[in-house]
Amino acid sequence: MDQQGAGGDVEVPAGLGLTAAEYEQLRPTVDAHHRYAVGEGQCSSLLAQRIHAPPAAVWAIVRRFDCPQVYKHFIRSCAVRPDPDAGDALRPGRLREVCVISGLPASTSTERLDHLDDAARVFGFSITGGEHRLRNYRSVTTVSELAGPGICTVVLESYAVDVPDGNTEDDTRLFADTVIRLNLQKLKSVAEASTSSSAPPPPSE
Amino acid sequence: MAAAMCVDDEAASAAAESAGVDKLDLGAAAGGKRSVYLMDCAPVWGCASTRGRSAEMEDACAAAPRFADVPVRLLASRRDLDGLGLDAGALRLPAHLFGVFDGHGGAEVANYCRERLQVLLRQELRLLGEDLGQISCDVDMKEHWDELFTGCFQRLDDEVSGQASRLVGAVQESRPVAAENVGSTAVVAVVCSSHVVVANCGDSRAVLCRGKEPVELSIDHKPDRKDERARIEALGGKVIQWNGYRVSGILAMSRSIGDRYLKPFVIPKPEVTVVPRAKDDDCLILASDGLWDVVSNEEACKAARRQIQLWHKNNGVTSSLCDEGDESNDPAAQAAADYLMRLALKKGTEDNITVIVVDLKPRKKAKSNS
Repeated sequence: MDQQGAGGDVEVPAGLGLTAAEYEQLRPTVDAHHRYAVGEGQCSSLLAQRIHAPPAAVWAIVRRFDCPQVYKHFIRSCAVRPDPDAGDALRPGRLREVCVISGLPASTSTERLDHLDDAARVFGFSITGGEHRLRNYRSVTTVSELAGPGICTVVLESYAVDVPDGNTEDDTRLFADTVIRLNLQKLKSVAEASTSSSAPPPPSE
Repeated sequence: MAAAMCVDDEAASAAAESAGVDKLDLGAAAGGKRSVYLMDCAPVWGCASTRGRSAEMEDACAAAPRFADVPVRLLASRRDLDGLGLDAGALRLPAHLFGVFDGHGGAEVANYCRERLQVLLRQELRLLGEDLGQISCDVDMKEHWDELFTGCFQRLDDEVSGQASRLVGAVQESRPVAAENVGSTAVVAVVCSSHVVVANCGDSRAVLCRGKEPVELSIDHKPDRKDERARIEALGGKVIQWNGYRVSGILAMSRSIGDRYLKPFVIPKPEVTVVPRAKDDDCLILASDGLWDVVSNEEACKAARRQIQLWHKNNGVTSSLCDEGDESNDPAAQAAADYLMRLALKKGTEDNITVIVVDLKPRKKAKSNS
């Protein structure tokens, strides 16, 4: 994803749904984690979701490499491959086998955990195999807190992927963005529900 | 069981020869023959369903014999009914409902449709019967059916998404039936003595076997159907070829119940077909795409017709009617449904398979009532 600011002005990527002021706060995170060297035949995209829940509560859901179905749709089952050296620890290099629900143009996905940074709240994975059309897919999800009245957490999810033969960049982005957008909406529902059930809502909401 | 026959030979012959209902010319008192509208019509069906090679079973099917009475004004004009000496305002025909619901992303929506659609339809038919009594001028019958089914399917979709409340036990519930990405096809047929009415939403299918030839009673809602693609793109959506043509590259059908994440592109509005019955009607087949993906309409009709005939030849024509009650599967139609299911498995379908076969051929009883 190319980002070119005109002088000091902030350009918010189209369709992100963030204000210029919000984007400015997030820019260091975007620069550090959501930029890709995209070559020919590839495309990338960045999506954002506001969530009215503490960032720690959101991160606790996002970081579950072993249990993505808590906030992702389209997953029938997920199994992390056993790693004798790692035991139960979730660390870079772990693989999971995702089975996809019916009706989709995919059936399985083998995914590798690339980043899990609890301090910076950065989660990254790539797709290494399976039956689907997303080749060389790699993705990063970050959880950030926006300063301002009330709790506002912003989740950013970005990816880069090959454009399959016979399709356009727009096709590819439409497919992937539709899935991710739906997942981020579910993440919002799950995180806000877990927060509201465990504590009274903040008075400013 | 009061009557063994759906239509007698002469009435069926007249119906077959006419260009449509308008030319039916049989009054109640004409030489002892009964109008096609006064014939009883026993439900004669079989249903076969299997998970097949899929990991999950998400299909559902419904068979509801005598589920409602259809106001005869939905089947013929007042003028024609008056000409036959029939009371257009009061006469209702017993009807049977058959439906196939192919779920995706989960079985919740398909299962809900199986239970709920017949309730909604029964309610609407009852209300419509009252309304029709007040209508003095004739409105096109097809328009009534379109309105009836469109309203029922929309209500069903609204309940699934939580936009309309539904009764669960004795409690009003307004939470969604399923997650945003769960949906189902719905192909249903209302069968009475004079007509078959089909409503379809999605890519399941209804095929009538008439004079040994298939007659399509539904057209699959595939995203690359020219008019469907145009409708979707006019709304700002996009159809992408991604392992087949799909809405947003994800859903392989352009209409369904549920799937609210793809609104407004994917709609629950059914397409309706109203067909007068004819003497050379053999059977009606409703099935999910687990069958139709690997078996052509022609092949399915030929196989179903042959299996029904074979069963009767081997078992004697009176057995099925004497041994079975009104309300259970007919073994000949069941044999046909089972055969089609096994045929699809043999041909390597990857999906769930659900098949309903409705035998439309009158089978004479040993002692005829007519």
